[in-house]
Amino acid sequence: MEAKKMGMGEKTDDFTPRGTRAGLELFVIAIGFFVLTPLISMHRVKDFMIFCIFALSFDLLYGYMGRLSFGHLLYLGTGAYCFGLFIKYGLNNAFLAMLLGVLAAGCLGALLGLIMVRATGACFSLMALAFNHIGFFMVLSPLKHITNGEDGFGAHAQPIAFLNFNNKGVLFAIVLVALLAVYYILRRLTLSPYGILIRSVKEDETRVRFLGYPTYFYKWLTFVIASLIAGLAGTLTALNYKFVNPNVMDVHQNVGVVFACLIGGAGKLYGALIGGVVYMLISNYLAIYIQRWEMFLGIALLIIVFRFRRGIWGYVESLGGYFQRRKATHPAG
Amino acid sequence: MVYTVLYGFSIGAILYFISIGLSLTFGTMRVVNFAHTLTYSIGVYILITLIPWLKGAFIPAAAGAILAIIPISYLIERLIIRRLYGESLDYTFIATFAITLIGVDTIKLIWGVNPLPFSAPMNAYLNFWGITFPVYRILIITIAIALFLGLEIFFRKTIMGKIVIAALEDKDGVRCLGVRVDKYFSLMFILGSGLAALGGVLYAPISAVHPYMGLSILLLAFAVVIVGGMGNLRGTFISAFALGMVMALTARYWSQGAETMVFIVMAIVLCFRPIDI
Repeated sequence: MEAKKMGMGEKTDDFTPRGTRAGLELFVIAIGFFVLTPLISMHRVKDFMIFCIFALSFDLLYGYMGRLSFGHLLYLGTGAYCFGLFIKYGLNNAFLAMLLGVLAAGCLGALLGLIMVRATGACFSLMALAFNHIGFFMVLSPLKHITNGEDGFGAHAQPIAFLNFNNKGVLFAIVLVALLAVYYILRRLTLSPYGILIRSVKEDETRVRFLGYPTYFYKWLTFVIASLIAGLAGTLTALNYKFVNPNVMDVHQNVGVVFACLIGGAGKLYGALIGGVVYMLISNYLAIYIQRWEMFLGIALLIIVFRFRRGIWGYVESLGGYFQRRKATHPAG
Repeated sequence: MVYTVLYGFSIGAILYFISIGLSLTFGTMRVVNFAHTLTYSIGVYILITLIPWLKGAFIPAAAGAILAIIPISYLIERLIIRRLYGESLDYTFIATFAITLIGVDTIKLIWGVNPLPFSAPMNAYLNFWGITFPVYRILIITIAIALFLGLEIFFRKTIMGKIVIAALEDKDGVRCLGVRVDKYFSLMFILGSGLAALGGVLYAPISAVHPYMGLSILLLAFAVVIVGGMGNLRGTFISAFALGMVMALTARYWSQGAETMVFIVMAIVLCFRPIDI
């Protein structure tokens, strides 16, 4: 942790109204989702927000640290399964199960991260893909007697005090609080010297290591944080649907979060949020009107890669104005 | 046990056909080609379409399918892959994955979502010392070995092969000699795609045919290429057969675990020899 104190510790402090600004951002996000609620149903907005949490965790790994994981759903799935199994076989306490799910995803991330973060680029992506495949297979076949294989199982959490988990308003509030908390934590993290460090790892790892920072540890730490948040998204998914099946960690679904992150603008927290909402809108509504929406997704990805790399938030940012110019000097959204 | 070994060799042969193109594309162009096995599945679908048309003749239909892949892979190379030279690996990854999505959806559009039935073109068996061998699997292995020898000769004796080997080592150096590297890369891409289609055509009769068939075998091919070393042609040959054997031996004792065991082997290899790419 010594490295944290060095570096650019003082610089972030000239964000004097940081507390108020963070509060304002959280308020804007909350308002944004409340505005969405009447337009599309509350149930859908809940899904959107869960996906946004997942997109944020992916963005930390890809946008900030430059490690494209093609198997990030493994941690979401771990969270969801641990939540479900704990509800089914252990105590029927949703909060304890959530804690356990998040911790399980974090532990798995900590373990696999030891191997994973040694790789870079395509190797990292492929290893993530391979581990995701193994995880998918594990719940499908060897653990079939407890996970019920392909069919999945129900996980009905009993109400705790006044929190009835069958009420969609309560669920909405829980998910919203989780999203805001994740956003706030990530905002603090990415603005801190630690955030600058992981962005530097993305730019040039050798140089960072040359400066004396233990990059391996920081990469591992980022991986664990991303796994924890993905696990949280997983427990929320299970809590929301009251049902867990292997689809939560289907290898082929990983492209969704990559798309979300890119279209919103990788390396920006707002980008991940906007991308998450846009992706969910596309996958929820386009599928109704266009049967071949996978093809549309493919073409959109190609356009993004060749013409539109900064994403939506990148363009919003460059529109100019005082607010944006200030942002540009501190590029963390 | 004999069957297991035979099965392992035939799986290894198929993996070799598919991963050789992947290894070449990565070694020369530094593009991790997610769309590689798209040609594999398209080849199989074309084969299935051609077979009733040619009144059940397997070999002409297979040749037709492989020939039909050539223009498709040329288009993919010309329109997408060529723009990705020198890009960061993430973008090549995403762009080629996008091609896969488009391709899979096109397959669904033309041939439908449901798996198609397809069976082995020859059911002949060979009798040796009281053990029967399915001729088809032996044929696959023979073709793989012939292909390996052919490629060795191609890369060692012909000028085109030598240029490609040199470009694997140092692309800019070859370009400085006044050789149009891009043209050769394009040819290599088509060769790789054609071989993937060959693998598909040979493997289809002993596996299932569905739009996502390419994606599942792609992961195995990636494992082969990583274990064998990206751009290392002999390494690819050896690791393809080794992993094929791993699959067969695992399947003998634990049938569902076959694919997973390949990834475990890959993870172990990566632990001891991480590849910086």
